[in-house]
Formats: sequence, structure tokens, C-alpha cells
Amino acid sequence: MPMVSRNYEEFEQPQTISGATEFQALRRVRRRTGLRLTLVAVGGFLLYVLLSSFTPGLMNSSVAGHLTLGLALGLGQFVLMAVIARRHVVHMRTHVDPVVRGLGHRLRRLPGENRQRPTGSTTAHRTQGHRTW
Amino acid sequence: MVTAAGVGDRFSLQLTFLLFLAVVVVTLFTALLTAPQRDEIGEFYLGNRTMSPLRNGLAMCGDYISAATLLGSTGLVALNGYDGLLYLGGTAVAWMTVLLLIAEPLHNAGRFTLGDTIALRLPQGQRPVRLALAICTLAVTTLYLVAQLVGSVALLTQFTGEPSALTRTLCVVVIGTIVIVYAAIGGMPGATFIQVVKAVMVISGVTVTAVMVLHHYHWNVDALLGAAADHSGLGTRFLEPGLRYGGSTTSKLDFFSLELAIVLGLAALPHVMMRLLAPRGVNVLRSSVVWAIGLVGLVCLLAGVLGLGATAVVGRETIAGTDRKGDAAVLLLAHALGGGVLTALLTCLAFVTLLAVASGLTLAAASSLAHDLYGEVVRKGRAKETEELLVARLAAVVIGVLGMLLALVSWGANTATLAFLAFAIAASAILPTLVYTLFWRGLTATGAQLSIYGGLLCSVLLVVFSPVVSSTPASLYPDADFAWFPLQNPGIVSIPVGFLLGWLGSLLSGRQETEAYDEFEVRTLVGADQS
Repeated sequence: MPMVSRNYEEFEQPQTISGATEFQALRRVRRRTGLRLTLVAVGGFLLYVLLSSFTPGLMNSSVAGHLTLGLALGLGQFVLMAVIARRHVVHMRTHVDPVVRGLGHRLRRLPGENRQRPTGSTTAHRTQGHRTW
Repeated sequence: MVTAAGVGDRFSLQLTFLLFLAVVVVTLFTALLTAPQRDEIGEFYLGNRTMSPLRNGLAMCGDYISAATLLGSTGLVALNGYDGLLYLGGTAVAWMTVLLLIAEPLHNAGRFTLGDTIALRLPQGQRPVRLALAICTLAVTTLYLVAQLVGSVALLTQFTGEPSALTRTLCVVVIGTIVIVYAAIGGMPGATFIQVVKAVMVISGVTVTAVMVLHHYHWNVDALLGAAADHSGLGTRFLEPGLRYGGSTTSKLDFFSLELAIVLGLAALPHVMMRLLAPRGVNVLRSSVVWAIGLVGLVCLLAGVLGLGATAVVGRETIAGTDRKGDAAVLLLAHALGGGVLTALLTCLAFVTLLAVASGLTLAAASSLAHDLYGEVVRKGRAKETEELLVARLAAVVIGVLGMLLALVSWGANTATLAFLAFAIAASAILPTLVYTLFWRGLTATGAQLSIYGGLLCSVLLVVFSPVVSSTPASLYPDADFAWFPLQNPGIVSIPVGFLLGWLGSLLSGRQETEAYDEFEVRTLVGADQS
């Protein structure tokens, strides 16, 4: 029986990547947009909860028929979620994935491989493949 | 006795039983067929890693939507109108944190459990942290498991009135045994199959009923809202905030505390984390989580419609009269709209939901025990795969039996309270370590342990000294009074405490592993392999 590999040695040396400007930029972009969008989604919802609790007068103002501002904002949360999820996916696809792919290739190429390997076509194929469900 | 009349007649009870039996037989056979062929822990813990995003999303949705959501939250809407709808919103928003912050870094740097991620981040001090995590995982999953099993008794109560001790035991033992078979023999492939089946059933069942409600009011939402307000006996107060949580500033804070725990706790629930590690590619994971958000959002919206519909069609008085917590709302609505057949369908749905969530939880607890506790702490990483797998299967049996015993002892407990405590523990004990591990260079093993044990203790102690346990008529011990903490939900205090302890512990312990962090950070962002 094979022993379980628990030392993760199959992965190449990433230390060389962590100093690269490309990686630092990626790191900043991921953190900034991730935090900002989370703040909008979660903060927005918690703010809505607090508003409902502490300013009922405002939330009870009627928008149309029985629909109050509070109920409308509640529905708005779902719309906001959809918009944020969409923005995140588009952002990741256009700004993050290409950089990650490039870094990933560098990571695997480091132990003295040929640097001129064409990668464009295969990656394009891959993104196509994940669009299906 | 909670139910004098009950919600269903003999016919729908028998139909429920037949439907439930059919689903269980089919899923049990499939679980046996899809069970891991070889003795590989990877397949047992993660299942089929090449599933499509839709199926992964369905499985995530299935893991998340428990019977508490299906019956409890709709009941909350039916009894409390606006406040119930607010609660449903939080249930859906919780997934945003997972999508935006947690899912991809965790997936890139993860293997089977959170303990594996920590082993990469803190190679020196991983074992004590794994032990702490295993204890915490066990606490969260057991609480949630007991909530599901107690829920099955509560569901049976809707039909037969207060069940006798024998019926109660039989119900818990039968459900518990099926859960053990799914988890111990089927492993992740079996659990995934029942999750997908259950998610499809829940989504279609809820959609059909919601369409019937909307059709009843000629697709006029305003008419539905108006009818709900009229039949609530409270007028427009029903559609205004504060019916349940608006009494005092304390209860407003209590509700905020609950929402905080739900929104933040989801990302740290062990069975949800296991699902995040299952897809192989990070692109598939992203699409899966987006599917999960869409499906959970849909179920939450429709649950709101069902809750309002229940009040509009059945009336608030009748719902509160049948079950004080409102758990009967959906079933009463189904009986009014679709007769015995629809009631039986939805009841069967609720039982399958219980079963599926419980098996996911048992599996998560078993993998944490076998992989973190046995494999790494007891055997120090020298266990063979077959050995670890055997331990995982045994652990599933042990946890299932433990859950059954606890459920039989505490069968009268409030399922929602148990589930909320599980969320609070996840958010205050596991989440800080998860966030620090992924994003903070300064975390040390001491800090992680302090935050895990501290968050766990803090949330449990605060609940012990809260109105949940003593001082009010609805408490566990109504006659005693040692409730110096006024809130029923500890999140608002215990979550900051967990984060603070992790930060303090890391600062004070000094010995940092920053070189490991550089390597780890590359892993979280770029991933190990992009296949």
C-alpha cells in the first residue's frame, strides 16, 4: 500500500514568484476588489438590517400599494447580490485569470524548460470548456 | 400537546411514508453503487471531482438548505411578516462572502480539511491547531446534526400529535441509521448524490407551491401582501419591521447578532468547506458557487412567498395555533392549496432534506476526526490510506450514534436555537483562523489555537448564561435565573472576541513562520495545479 503523500513536495518552488511585480500587483488587485465587493454585499445587508430595526418610520413609507420602502430594499438585496456576483465573475475572468495563468506557467516552467512554449490556444480552449454546464 | 388536530390526515401520512421510502431506497442503492471502489481517501472525502458546475452548485445548495430553512423560516415569515423576510435575506447573502473572499484561496491551498490548509501555512505548529480544529468541527457538526434529528421528531409531531417515547426513538433511530449508511459506506459520492436529489426536489417543490400561491392571487403581489396583512390579524403592522425583534433595543441587537452569525458563519461550516474543495478546477468552483448563490437566492425568495401565502390563505391564528414556532405553516398551506397529495410531497421533502443535511454533516465530522485527529495528531502522518479510511467510516458510525443519543435526550429542544448556536460557533471559532490563515502574514500557531478555543468557549458560555438556558418561560430551566447575558445569540460579542484573541495570541507568541507564508500566498493566488 502506498503511503499518503502529506508533504506536498509535488509542487514547485513558489518563493521565486512571490517577489515578482506581476504577483504583487495580482495580490493587491485580489485583496482590494474582493474586500470592496464583500463590504458592499455584506455591509449593505447589515446596514439594511440596522435601518429596519432602528428607523422603522423611514422603512414603512409606502412605495406602491402595500409595498413599503423596507420590502422594496429587501428585494433590492437580491438584485444587488446578482449584480455583485456578475461583476466579480467578469472581473476575475478579465483581470485575474490571465495573470494567474501566466504565473502558473512560469511556476511550472522554472526548472529549466524552454521558455517559448505557445500557450495561447490551449488556455483559450480551457476557458471555453468551463462555460458549459 | 402541540398539535390537537395536526396538519395531515391518515392518507397524507401514508403517502408521505411511501414517498419517503421510495426516495430512501433509490438513494441508498445509488449510494452503494457510487461508493468509492478503491480504498482511496481522496475519493471518500471529495467524491467525483469532475462534476459540472450546475451539479456542484446543486450539491452546495443541498448542503446549505436544511429543514430549518424550509419549515422554520417560512414559519417565521408567516408569523412575523417583515422580520421573517429579513431573516431569509441573510440566509441568501451569506453566500456572497464565500464567493468573493473564501472559496478560491481556500480551494487553491486546500486538500481535504481546513487542517490541511493550516498545515501548509504553519508547518511547524500544525498538530495542536489540527486538534483544536477537530474539536471545534465536532462541536459544530454535532449541534447541527442533533438539530436535524430533533427536527425529524418535530416534523412527525405535526402529524401524530405528541409522539410516544417508542415512536420518537424509532423515528430518530431510523433516520440516524440511514444517515450513517450514507456517510460511512457512500462517503462523499453517496452524500453528493443525495444532496443533488434533495436540492432538485426542494427547488421544484418550493417552486410549484409558490406558483400555486401566486396563481391563487392572480399573479398580483400587491394582492398577496394585502391578503397576508388582512389575515394576520395585525393589519399593516405585519408588513412593518419589529413584530418579533422590535420590542426593545436588546431584541434589536439580538437580531443583528443572529444575522451577523449567519452571514459570517456559513463560510466556516465544515460541510460547506468540504464542498468548496471538491471541484478540481478553480473555474469550475467559481461557476459552482455562482450557481449555488442563484439557487439559494431563488429558494429564499420563494420561501418568502410561501410564508406570506401561508398567512394569506390559512391565517396567522391557525398557524400559531397548530405550532407555536410556526413550523407547520408550509404544510398547512399545502393542505389548503393542494390537499393531501401536496402535503405529503412537502413533508417527504422535509424528511429527505433532514436526511441529506445530516449525512453531509456526519461525513464532515468523520473526515475531520479521521484525517486531522487520527491521521495527523494520533499517528503523526504515518497512517496508511486504508487505515485512515477505516477510521473515517468508523468515525461516521460513532458520530451518527452520538447524534442519535443526544437527539433522544434533548428531543424537546428548539431546533432553531441549536442551529443558530452552531452558526455562532463556526463564525467565532473557525472563521477567524480561516481568515487569518488565508490573508494575514502574522498568524502563529498559538494565535490560531487561542482564537479557536477562545471563540468556542466564549460562544458556548454566553449561551449558557443567556435567556436560552434560564430566566424566561421558554428557557431550558425556566425556574432558575443566571442569565446575565441578555442576548440569545452570542455572535455580536463572540465573533470579535475570536478575531481579537487570534490577533493577540499571534502578537504575543512571537515565533512567526513568515517564509512559509510567502510560499503559501503564492499557492492561494496561483494554485498548485490548474488542470
